[in-house]
Amino acid sequence: MRELFHEIASNLRNNKLRTALTGFAVSWGIFLLIALLGAGNGLMNSFMGNISDFISQSVSVEGWRTSKPYAGYQEGRDIQLDEQDVTYTESPRWSPVVRNVTRQTGSTGVTFSLDGNTVAGQIAGVMPEYLEQEKLKMYAGRFLNPDDLKERRKVVVLSLAQAKELSPRNPEALVGRWVGAGSVSFRVVGIYHTDESSMYRTCPIPFSTYKGIYDSSDKIESITFTLDGPKTKQDYEAFEKEYGSALRLRHDVAPDDRRGIWIRNGYTDNMEMNNAQRIIRTFLWILGLLTLVSGIVGVSNIMLIAVKERTHEFGIRKAIGASPAEILKLIIAESVTITAIFGYIGMLLGMIACQIMDKTVGQQAVDIGVEKIQMLVNPTVGLDVALEATVLLIVAGTLAGAIPAWKAARVKPIEALRAE
Amino acid sequence: MLIELKGINKTYDNGQPLHVLKGIDLSIERGEFVSIMGASGSGKSTLLNILGILDNYDTGEYWLDGKLIKDLSEKMAADYRNRMIGFVFQSFNLISFKTAVENVELPLYYQGVPRKKRHELAMEYLEKLGLTDWASHFPNEMSGGQKQRVAIARALITRPQIILADEPTGALDSKTSVEVMQLLKRLNQEEGITIIVVTHESGVANETDKIIHIKDGIIGEIEENKSHTAWDSSIIK
Repeated sequence: MRELFHEIASNLRNNKLRTALTGFAVSWGIFLLIALLGAGNGLMNSFMGNISDFISQSVSVEGWRTSKPYAGYQEGRDIQLDEQDVTYTESPRWSPVVRNVTRQTGSTGVTFSLDGNTVAGQIAGVMPEYLEQEKLKMYAGRFLNPDDLKERRKVVVLSLAQAKELSPRNPEALVGRWVGAGSVSFRVVGIYHTDESSMYRTCPIPFSTYKGIYDSSDKIESITFTLDGPKTKQDYEAFEKEYGSALRLRHDVAPDDRRGIWIRNGYTDNMEMNNAQRIIRTFLWILGLLTLVSGIVGVSNIMLIAVKERTHEFGIRKAIGASPAEILKLIIAESVTITAIFGYIGMLLGMIACQIMDKTVGQQAVDIGVEKIQMLVNPTVGLDVALEATVLLIVAGTLAGAIPAWKAARVKPIEALRAE
Repeated sequence: MLIELKGINKTYDNGQPLHVLKGIDLSIERGEFVSIMGASGSGKSTLLNILGILDNYDTGEYWLDGKLIKDLSEKMAADYRNRMIGFVFQSFNLISFKTAVENVELPLYYQGVPRKKRHELAMEYLEKLGLTDWASHFPNEMSGGQKQRVAIARALITRPQIILADEPTGALDSKTSVEVMQLLKRLNQEEGITIIVVTHESGVANETDKIIHIKDGIIGEIEENKSHTAWDSSIIK
């Protein structure tokens, strides 16, 4: 084995051009594959990350306006949900799948004022889960908590845009201060992030506080909950049909009148996102495999030419006593050595390229108007994938070299000697 | 008897059959210095290739040192070539990317001799042929005569029974040709190695002790030539 290694080392050293060309083909193949997969992963992470800002996994129910006459009522009737709908949703009939039922009041427009600065806002009574459901991100302070609800505290969470209007120099300083809102005052407990052009003007206050100040009826704006059960789109649709019809009948709305009582769900959207993710991933893999195939073709080609070119040399080796097995062993060992060394180099370069992408493009954000997004998020390839690809290329390169090697090993020495 | 050929026939079939050897009977004793002479196309190279187990034959028998050389596996043939036969070719057939000493070492590599031992032996043989200073040179840095001497060193290193030389002077000038033939003659006399030279030059054949003429695939006259007077002039004219 050591003898073979020395023989290979001397062969490779003394054929620098051939070694370099073969090596380059191998390195390039691996490099392209890893850089491509890295960029693809980055794009997908970015896509998924940006989308998940908008998609919530919860289901929410709102009363709208009927679009069909039913039970003696004309169409065009406004539907208002109430506490009984919440109780119904929490009832044993739905409790096996329905989780985290929350509700939200309607909203009231107010003008906040502080030290002569004013800003408009829509106060709405919500529950602590609102933060997660609406995917809000806190900028300073905290969101509403269960104690706020229990004690009907007069606290409010403002958007950053509003905070900047009220306290232009130092929006964070607003946390803890009392701001006027018409005839009442609220203490600001937190500020949530808004993008430049955000539509969020809603100012959450505790549900119970809202009911105490603005609306003592049992009417509510929307019910929101999460589902634990439906796995597929079909499952979900079956649930929505059953639950929706039941809820509609409670309000004398046609069971199939989706505009009467509207059920919005991030649930199937989410499933579709998972599908999209799967499709992109498959596509990336196909692209990667095609790159790998082109790498293999390149390596095979060079191996083929290298073996052909060496027929005469193999003839000499045979004349002085090399058996076919020795020739085969020599060629294969040489090709494994070249592909392994240069494959490793290509893999390292590919991973370095991924890191460079991460440090440059990965840190840049592109303004798409509504918000800023990152083009590439974490554009890297796992070491396992990189190693697998490298090993695959080495094996393929070896197999590709083995076919002409097998032929060369079988050529009669006299024919090999005649070859030029 | 070192070499014994009985009724060797060989036909090449490239499109139309070409009967190259038409029943060769030949015996060569251990320690002989023989030349096989014939015009191009006479079948002399084919005969040498069969003797060197580089090519196979169709019918007949070839006995080498008491072993029947027939239908050998490639592995066996390689082993016999390695241990019993040393080749000297017209075009030297040195591996261009290996130095002189590495070329000489190569047959021992296939015998599994350790690297250090190989190197020592190869240097010894290069010294014997006056090439010590050229050991680390590549073939393309050497003259034709030097290359042929490296090839002879390579042929000798396994201590073979026979050296088969196919037009060993074909690519050399006349002065170097004489040197190479003198070298072969010395090896034959001093080491007792059986040497078979294939040539079409009568001057070269005249240096050997026995000249076997081959014509159209059959053995013609066999001249004893101990006095080296088969040809009235030396190869240097």
